[in-house]
Amino acid sequence: MYPVAFVLLLLVAFNAGANLGRDDERFHEELVVRPLSGDHVNTYFQFTTRWHYGEKDNLYHTQLTPRVIAELLQQFAVKELHIGLTQGLWRYETWGYPIVEATSGAEMWAWFSGANLTNRDVDSQWKALANVFSGVLCASLNFVDNTNSIAPRHLIRPQFMPANGQRFVRYATLPREIVCTENLTPWKKLLPCGSASGFASLLNSGHVHNTKYHSLGLKVRVLCEDHDEDNCIVELTQTANLVYDLRLFELSNNDFSLRRLFGMGLNGYCELAESSKIYVQRNELGERYQLVPEPVHEVKTTRGGHSVVYSVYDMHEQFKEAGERLFNVAWLAPKSANRRRNLAKPSLPPVTVHRYLLGHGQERGRIVTVVTNSHYDALPIMLQEVIPWYVHAYLHTLSIRRKPQRVNEYGRQRLPFKLLHYTPGKQRELPSHLEIGFMLPGQTSALISIDVDYLLLKWLEYPPDANHGHYIGSAIVSSQLPMGRNYSALPPEGHLFEHSFNATRPSYVLSLHTEALIVSLPTPDFSMPYNVICLACTVVALAFGPIHSVATKMIIVGRQTSAPKNFVKKIFNQIFRRGKAADEAAAEGEGSPAAGAAASDATGVASARPAISPGSPSGDQPLLEDLDEEEEEQD
Amino acid sequence: MDSKFFKLLLLGGAVRFYFCRTPLAPMIGNRVEFATPLNSHKRMQEGIFLLQSGIDPYLGDLVHESPLILSALSGLFQKYPHFLPIFYIILDICTAALLYAMSLRFVKQKQDLQDVERKEYAKDTEELQFGPLDKLDIPELVIVAYLFNPLTVMSCIGMTSTVISNLFLAFFFYCLVKGMLIPCLLVLAFETVRSFYPIVLIAPLLLVFSRNSVRRGVAIAVLFIVGCLIVAVANYFVLNSWNFLDGTLGFIFYFRDLQPNIGLFWYFFTEMFEHFRTMFLITFQLNATVLYLVPLSIKLRKEPLLLATVLVALMAVFRAYPSLGDVGFYLALLPLWKRCWKFMAHGFVVFTFFLVTLSMMGALWHLWIYAGSANANFYFGATLAFSTGQIFLITDLLFAHVKREFCLFNGQKILIDGEEARIVLK
Repeated sequence: MYPVAFVLLLLVAFNAGANLGRDDERFHEELVVRPLSGDHVNTYFQFTTRWHYGEKDNLYHTQLTPRVIAELLQQFAVKELHIGLTQGLWRYETWGYPIVEATSGAEMWAWFSGANLTNRDVDSQWKALANVFSGVLCASLNFVDNTNSIAPRHLIRPQFMPANGQRFVRYATLPREIVCTENLTPWKKLLPCGSASGFASLLNSGHVHNTKYHSLGLKVRVLCEDHDEDNCIVELTQTANLVYDLRLFELSNNDFSLRRLFGMGLNGYCELAESSKIYVQRNELGERYQLVPEPVHEVKTTRGGHSVVYSVYDMHEQFKEAGERLFNVAWLAPKSANRRRNLAKPSLPPVTVHRYLLGHGQERGRIVTVVTNSHYDALPIMLQEVIPWYVHAYLHTLSIRRKPQRVNEYGRQRLPFKLLHYTPGKQRELPSHLEIGFMLPGQTSALISIDVDYLLLKWLEYPPDANHGHYIGSAIVSSQLPMGRNYSALPPEGHLFEHSFNATRPSYVLSLHTEALIVSLPTPDFSMPYNVICLACTVVALAFGPIHSVATKMIIVGRQTSAPKNFVKKIFNQIFRRGKAADEAAAEGEGSPAAGAAASDATGVASARPAISPGSPSGDQPLLEDLDEEEEEQD
Repeated sequence: MDSKFFKLLLLGGAVRFYFCRTPLAPMIGNRVEFATPLNSHKRMQEGIFLLQSGIDPYLGDLVHESPLILSALSGLFQKYPHFLPIFYIILDICTAALLYAMSLRFVKQKQDLQDVERKEYAKDTEELQFGPLDKLDIPELVIVAYLFNPLTVMSCIGMTSTVISNLFLAFFFYCLVKGMLIPCLLVLAFETVRSFYPIVLIAPLLLVFSRNSVRRGVAIAVLFIVGCLIVAVANYFVLNSWNFLDGTLGFIFYFRDLQPNIGLFWYFFTEMFEHFRTMFLITFQLNATVLYLVPLSIKLRKEPLLLATVLVALMAVFRAYPSLGDVGFYLALLPLWKRCWKFMAHGFVVFTFFLVTLSMMGALWHLWIYAGSANANFYFGATLAFSTGQIFLITDLLFAHVKREFCLFNGQKILIDGEEARIVLK
């Protein structure tokens, strides 16, 4: 569908940093502040390092680019890598679309491309890559392996160059991952200035983790010229996307400032940065705030028929004079709006998604994804589900039902698939991977549902606190918007936030993450292993014993009276008999088997001597000589 | 083949048809006691859907039906899904009819044998011999036990593929009694490739057809292996891949799905220490296949049909994914041994075991999975008790058979010093 147009667009990307000469490294830092509805503020940090490394034997000598990124390119055939570490849920309905997308927990995908690369190589490289970044970011990415990774077919598109050769992609999420200080610190260490100066000095863990939503991102891509494989740029983009809830500051009014949000003002710019700019959105919800100090520059950008006004603070200008020590920007709300929640909502984004589980109990359920198109025209929708192996999905139950947006009930009307890709999952080996594509008519909701079974796992496969439940990672919904309303993502060919200004395109690729789900699987009793082994083996023995005796023993006839009725006497008799039999056996020494039989004779059993009477019709029937004699006597 | 037979068949069909239109049918189709990973209708649908969509169903581990069955039924599943219950009912009625025909023939054979041996029998053993009325009674009991057993009825309305297995097994029994070697071998080979455990039924087959000649026995065994290979190759050509072997036989042998069922495997291997897993896996699979095969084949070499019955019953207890439909099948074979019933001591105990454990299973399952007020141990206890009850039944039948044989030739009353003697095994 899209890839061809995409590659063409990316050609521009290589030239976007036209001023980047050979063997040149540039670093940019940007901060975007956007007031959101419901007294929320979105702050978005972006740190971009680009290194035109050209023809080098090795990449061990780096300046601004962290060495681990450079080594990555030498060790692996990786051309593009995305890692997101996120806590919280981005609310599309009220906040619009974020600048970078992320799902709660850890998310990672990478493109591999190289000569003679096989799927198996890619699998092992992918695992090694995840392990590297597990160490670099102190995240649990080492749990990424084939059991939770998929190779997306349609939904994830390459952003590296040249992307027209043989290429492989791997994608994994770890929804259980909890993002905390230990991830932020190593993430900041990848920056040229560290957290000492520049915008990164604002990212103090105490304040960052007080937010309603925080997402750390890392994106690496390689851009090489199509005809010259040695003429390459490696681009590292680090992003931090935070959403503050102003009500949590317990202010008397809705004013806020950089100092309020981050605990301190800005102490300057990173000396290694080529540019260092703060963008403040002034229209829509930013309109009512008055900025102190007054911004010098203002940028108006129109993208896809949608205009946004940004005020720009250039840190290089602000800190030109030596006297300036701390820089702070304050947003002053008009006094009349004091103490009242800002309930003004932006216009609803064209596509919104939700996901939930239906059914109760720990046996089976149904995963439901709702995609709503509030645009007036039909939109192409693609959905990618990764269903972990501990949940069985039944593809034949997959259905898309639709309803007009204003109606509450979903009708029987089905939407046809335009595209379906499915690889079934395998327990302990592969997740189920589902990608579907369809056209969603305007002003319509689609309900995509699939039945699942919850599996009982081995007792050691449950994580600590087994009854907490198991996560199903979020689904990704992708679409192409014809207009730029609510859309603020960077174009794939750009690398700075300012490249999204006036970047009007025929269509805008949108990708959204749904909520992650938590399913409660049936649990065994974890304290029972020995008991269960004993009990089950006992039942097997119950069968083995009688069948063994039927097959090996022979029938004998005993006196009815030989066994005393009284239980105590019975036991006495048993002990007594055993002792006596042993005595007699000892006395007779190495007696014949018949002697042993005689010993038991004494205890009342008529006889134990088998005699297979030849020629008898029941040749295998153990018949008793004594018995016959006795019968004859009685006759 | 009298009119009563057809009336019974019709009535059995009507009962099934009535229940398959009630809400009971989808509920039974989802119950773990009836629908296991191997025979569940939903998985069959999934397999056929994947096959039709051009995705190899055995890449995942949801589908464990053999490719031949999948492709044979795919037309029916896709085009006439409304007739599926009827289709399963017809299969089940065929099973009942085959069992009826089989038991008619069996009783006749028994009576012929009795006529030859009659002078060897002891005096007061008329009630242990097959009487003239048995020719009508026993087949009728068999067909009633199959058609109106709630276990088989529910297995049928839940549309589990146990219905198909039962049909094949019934056909196997029929051919065995009729003495038709080639169909017998083929159906056994097919069932073996499909669900592995029926391989043990090669023993009664050899006993019946080899007629004490080793050379014939070897020839039949070779034929059987060739039959299995042919079935496997035929399965291979459905998808042009050998993945199905791991998806069916491998899945059964390695016991990959721990979904609870009425057997012994699931909780045992859930709670198993990982380093003992292989050992116990082999032990349990041996227990379900060859452990009882050789001793019982030697002991029951005169009674191959009893051997087959006992093996089918042991299979239903010890197989990896047993379902109540399997239990229903071997229960229907018990009336064949009506003349042993006199010596079966645990009838009441076994009946109570069945009744109590089967009704407890539903309740305990609900408490564990839905209410959350019980845990897995409760359900495990019920399945364990159910298995114990079945084992009592099987061993009881074996003991009863041994005692009947003894008494048939030695008289029922054996006196020692004027007192009635006990018959014991030693």
